[in-house]
Amino acid sequence: MAWTWFHRLASPPHVYGLAARLTPWFAWIAAILIAGGLYGGLVLAPPDYQQGDDFRIIYVHAPSAWMSLMVYTTMAVSAGVGLIWRMKVAHAVAASCAAIGASFTVAALVTGSLWGERMWGTYWAWDPRLTFELILLFQYLGYMGLRSAFDDLQRADRASAVLAVVGVVNVPIIHYSVIWWNSLHQAPSVMQLGKPTMPPSMLIPLLMMFLGFTLLFVALLLVRLRAEILNRERTASWIREAVSP
Amino acid sequence: MSGFLGMGGYAAYVWPSYGLTLAIIILNIVWARRLLARSRTEARRRLAMRGEPT
Repeated sequence: MAWTWFHRLASPPHVYGLAARLTPWFAWIAAILIAGGLYGGLVLAPPDYQQGDDFRIIYVHAPSAWMSLMVYTTMAVSAGVGLIWRMKVAHAVAASCAAIGASFTVAALVTGSLWGERMWGTYWAWDPRLTFELILLFQYLGYMGLRSAFDDLQRADRASAVLAVVGVVNVPIIHYSVIWWNSLHQAPSVMQLGKPTMPPSMLIPLLMMFLGFTLLFVALLLVRLRAEILNRERTASWIREAVSP
Repeated sequence: MSGFLGMGGYAAYVWPSYGLTLAIIILNIVWARRLLARSRTEARRRLAMRGEPT
C-alpha cells in the first residue's frame, strides 16, 4: 500500500503530467531565491575582512560546486534505481541530469579559477579538490559520450548507469578532499553542523543561492525529463493528448 | 555606484564570475525548453505519419 506512490513514479504518463504541473512552482521559487541571493550577496553583505569584495565570488562559486556534486549524486542514485528495478523513468531522470551537471561543473571550475588567481596567485593548481572536480567534469562528459555511442536505448541506459554508479565514489572524495589533504582550497565555512563561520548577513544570501540553485535544478530536470519521456514512449497512446497544442 | 561596480578593485574577477554563472543558468533554461519543444514536435510528426489525427 505504502508503495503506490513509488509505483506511480514508474508510470510515464503520470510522471509527465506531474512534471508539467510542478515545473512552474520550482522555477518561480528558484528565480525569487536567486534574485534575492544575488542582491544580498552583491549589495547587502559586507566585504570580507581578509578578502575584501573578492569573497563575493562565493555566492556563485559555492552553489555551482554544490550543483556539480548534488546533480551527480541524483544521476547516480536514479541510474542505480533504474538498474535494480528496471525502471524506465529512473533511467530517463539519470539521462536528463548529465548536461545540467556538466555545465555547473564548468561554472564551479571557472569561478574557482578566477577566485584562486587573486587568493593563491594562480588560475590553476593540481590541488586535490581542483583535480577531482576536473575529473568529475570528465565523468559527466564520459557519461554523455557513452550514451550517445549506443543506438539501442536500453543498452545505453544500462551501460551509462553502471558508469554513473561506479563514478559516484568521486563525490565524497571531492567533498572531504579539503579535510583529508593539506589543500590550497579553503576549508568549508557553511557545511559545518552547528557552527558556520559566517555572520548572518553573509550566510543568508548564500543559503538562498544554495536553495535557489537546487530548485532551479529540479525545474530544469522536470522539463528535460518530459522531453526524455516523449522520446522514449514512441508508441504509447497517451502521447497524443500530451502533445496536442 | 562606481564603488559597487569597482568591487573594491576585484571587478575583473567578481563580474566575470557572476556573468558566467548567470549565462550558464540562462543557457540551461534555453536548452531545456528547446529540448522539450523539439521532442513535442517530433512526437506530433510521428503521430501524423501514422495517419492518425493529432
